[in-house]
Amino acid sequence: MTTPDDKTSDSKGGARVDPKLLEILVCPLTKGPLRYNAERGELVSERAGLAYPIRDGIPIMLIDEARSLDKTGAA
Amino acid sequence: MDAVSIRAAYRRYAGFYDRVFGTLLASGRHAAVAWLNRRGGLRILEVGVGTGLSLSDYRKDNRVVGIDLSTDMLKVAQERVARENLAHVEGLLEMDAGKLAFADGSFDVVVAMYVMTVVPDPQGTMAELERVCKPGGDIVIVNHFAAPRPGIRRTVENWLAPLSKKLGWRPDFTLESLLQGSPLAVQSVETVPPFGLFSLLHCRRQGA
Repeated sequence: MTTPDDKTSDSKGGARVDPKLLEILVCPLTKGPLRYNAERGELVSERAGLAYPIRDGIPIMLIDEARSLDKTGAA
Repeated sequence: MDAVSIRAAYRRYAGFYDRVFGTLLASGRHAAVAWLNRRGGLRILEVGVGTGLSLSDYRKDNRVVGIDLSTDMLKVAQERVARENLAHVEGLLEMDAGKLAFADGSFDVVVAMYVMTVVPDPQGTMAELERVCKPGGDIVIVNHFAAPRPGIRRTVENWLAPLSKKLGWRPDFTLESLLQGSPLAVQSVETVPPFGLFSLLHCRRQGA
């Protein structure tokens, strides 16, 4: 279940990440590409079906901390 | 020694040990960063950046990316970067050293200080450090490696044995076991004064 509150906190948590840093980031599980979702403040791995949160400007690149895309629908 | 007496011993020596170990750990960090600062224009990955104690010591014409498994440590590092205006720090990320989220060959240098004895899979972690390092790039490790032979160093290690857990070292952790099966070429191994408890290991990724 997604509430409006969830959405607000998601977009608030997403801070800017250096574009040069984004170029070298990959999914820790598949080592495949990541898509930066600025609105949600997430790094999305389509191949793994996971979204890695960025909290206060710190990308959390941990599989255990990632949001599963299956459960909550597409980002 | 039972648990009560061990706790009592720690209580007696805690302050002293912290001073001694703070100094010892700092000497290893300084040695590694001094080695890295011989060259500029590099992109460096610091694995286990912690609270960012070394960040201000890097040459400002090198770019540094820091990773750690602890959010709390990274927040302290982030505050330090903002407070000291450390523009050469390209980013701080939460990451597992054994499952790095960087593309192959992303860095000129990968440095890991006091990390290899606290990760569950040191060999697998070394393979990851190698993967994200450019071919021909450098991997620098600061760690305690068990003394191969009896001698002064072994005596000091035995003296410090009650602290091995606190320091996160394994008495049986040797350089040979760390590099077992690794294609990395060892360039140098130097012990860091005083006592030589910690070593500065420099490896090079093959290729290029």
